[in-house]
Amino acid sequence: MTLDWQGAAQSVIHHPLFGIGITLGAYQVVLAGYEKTRWTFLQPVLLSMLLLIGVLTFCGISYDEYRQSTQILGTLLGPATVALAVPLFLNLRRIRQLFWPVLTTLVVGGVFATGLCLALGTWFGTDHMILMTMAPKSVTSPIAMLVAQQIGGVAALAAVFVLITGVIGGIFGPALLNRVGVRHAAARGMALGLTAHAVGTSVALQESEETGAFAALAMSLMGVGTAVFLPLAVSLSV
Amino acid sequence: MLLRGLTWLVLFQLLGTALNHLFLSVLPGPIIGLVLLLLYLMVRGQVSEPLSLAANSLLRYLPLLLVPPAVGVMVYAAEIAKDFWAIVGSLVVSVLVSQVLVGWLMQRLVTRQRRREGQA
Repeated sequence: MTLDWQGAAQSVIHHPLFGIGITLGAYQVVLAGYEKTRWTFLQPVLLSMLLLIGVLTFCGISYDEYRQSTQILGTLLGPATVALAVPLFLNLRRIRQLFWPVLTTLVVGGVFATGLCLALGTWFGTDHMILMTMAPKSVTSPIAMLVAQQIGGVAALAAVFVLITGVIGGIFGPALLNRVGVRHAAARGMALGLTAHAVGTSVALQESEETGAFAALAMSLMGVGTAVFLPLAVSLSV
Repeated sequence: MLLRGLTWLVLFQLLGTALNHLFLSVLPGPIIGLVLLLLYLMVRGQVSEPLSLAANSLLRYLPLLLVPPAVGVMVYAAEIAKDFWAIVGSLVVSVLVSQVLVGWLMQRLVTRQRRREGQA
């Protein structure tokens, strides 16, 4: 009697749970590595993504099939985005006295960060689709993905651009800020959180609690600000 | 407890979806839900125990939830390869320049406010 190894492998690979299984597995492996080393450039999402693309290519699974089997995770992303309101509310309460400096910096810095990226992208001659995907790159991923899709970009690419931005900002930010003489904890936190979102915030938390608090605040304000105003701005300009 | 909080989050998201469909097609549903929840929290002035539990649990796994959509990049390999240097250039330059601007501006505004408060 010969066992049908090939058939068994095929039915495992194409089982609806296979996508979730490899996602959970890859994420935990990568997370364990990240927690051991704490290297900023080993971002769990970025590495899990690379690992999973490798596995999917190796098993011959199309992205469509993978997406369908991980649909439940995608569905949970909606409530998770809504849940971002809770940390934002808690951060807002904490910094009443510096309200005006924070708001001014947020508006000027946010418009500048988005505008500069769009200007550079146009100057380098990128596609409209890529340009619209890069616009929300300073914002935390769930928001950036929604916004990118809304204004004519691609959610998947937005998630990756966001991560690249975060990793670059997180690695070079602190040294760069030292260089130009930005020493104030609130200012460093704003700079890291506003431009490099969650990655910047985790780097800021390593500096001091105050820096971390301002980074978290800047990240959530930038997220909501971009989510509300960028689609409006785009819909008015087209 | 957890379930009650989750129900609130889902409720706000669905409310956002309805509003998105009715009036605000420019803003995605979850974003409207986020803003509504924020307004609700500001009016109430505090975060209830179940809501904070559900939000914390969900946000802890946020990176995991982001993995499947990010894998979608494999479909766009050709587009990325075509514009690779333009993309990397725009992202890197804009994040570093804005970081310096934001840090410098915030530091100036904070020191100015401190000085003014010192005078008053």
